[in-house]
Amino acid sequence: MADTISPTTPSEKTTGRTKGVGRIIVMLYAILALAAAWRSGFQILTKFDDAPVAFSLSAVSAVVYIIATFALAIPGRRAWKTAVVAVWFELIGVLVIGAWSLLVPDLFSESTVWSTFGIGYGFIPLILPVIGLYWLYKHRPAPLG
Amino acid sequence: MILDGWFYTGATIGLLSAIICIIATIFRNHPADSSILSLAAVELYLFVYAIYAFISPVPLNGPAWEFWGYIITALILPPIAFFWGITDKTRWSNLVMAAIGPTILVMIHRLQVIWHG
Repeated sequence: MADTISPTTPSEKTTGRTKGVGRIIVMLYAILALAAAWRSGFQILTKFDDAPVAFSLSAVSAVVYIIATFALAIPGRRAWKTAVVAVWFELIGVLVIGAWSLLVPDLFSESTVWSTFGIGYGFIPLILPVIGLYWLYKHRPAPLG
Repeated sequence: MILDGWFYTGATIGLLSAIICIIATIFRNHPADSSILSLAAVELYLFVYAIYAFISPVPLNGPAWEFWGYIITALILPPIAFFWGITDKTRWSNLVMAAIGPTILVMIHRLQVIWHG
C-alpha cells in the first residue's frame, strides 16, 4: 500500500480531516447548503422586494455553505484554508445577523437561515460552525517543508 | 390537516431510520445493511408521498414551485447520504446516514404546511 510507505507526506497528514467524524460534518453542511440554497433561490425569485436585505444575506449564506461543504470534503492544504475562512464567515454571520435580526426586526420581516441565531433551523447554523472549526483546527495541515 | 396520517407515517419512518442508524453506529464498524435499508424506506416513503401529492385532489395551499422543490430536495438527500456514507466504510458511515431521518421529518412538516397550511 502506497500510503504506508510514506506516512509523513503533507497530503497524508491532512486526510484524517475528511474521514470518520469529518464526513458527518460534511453531510450536515450539505443538508444546510441545500436547504439554504433552495430557500433563498425561491425567496429571491418570487418575493425579493419584500425583504431585500434578508434575502440577499440568505443567498450569500447559501453560497458560503456550498463552498464550505466542498472545502470540508476535499483533502489538502488549500481546501483546509478555504474551509476555515468559509466556516468562520458562517459563525460571524450567524452571530452578527442573529443579533441584528433581534435589534432591527423590520429589516428581517422575512426570516433567513441566520435570523435569531438560526432558530428556524434548530440552531444548527449556530452549532455547526463551532463543531466545524474545532474539527478543522484539530486537523491542521502539516507545516510546509 | 398538517398533522395527518401522512405526516405521522413519515415522521415515524424518519425517526426509526435515525434510531437504527445510531444503533448501527455503536455496534457496527462498517456501513450496516440496516442503516442502508432504513434510508431506502425513507426514500420509498418520499416517492409514495410525491405520487400521492401529484394525484391527490386536495389542492396546494402554497406555491407549487416551492412545494415540488422541497420534494425534489428531500428525494435527493437519502441517495447523497448513501453514496457519501459508503465511500469511507467506517462506523461513522452509519452516523452520516442518521442525519437524514430527522431532516426528512422537518421537510415533511414543511411540505404539509405548504400543502395544507
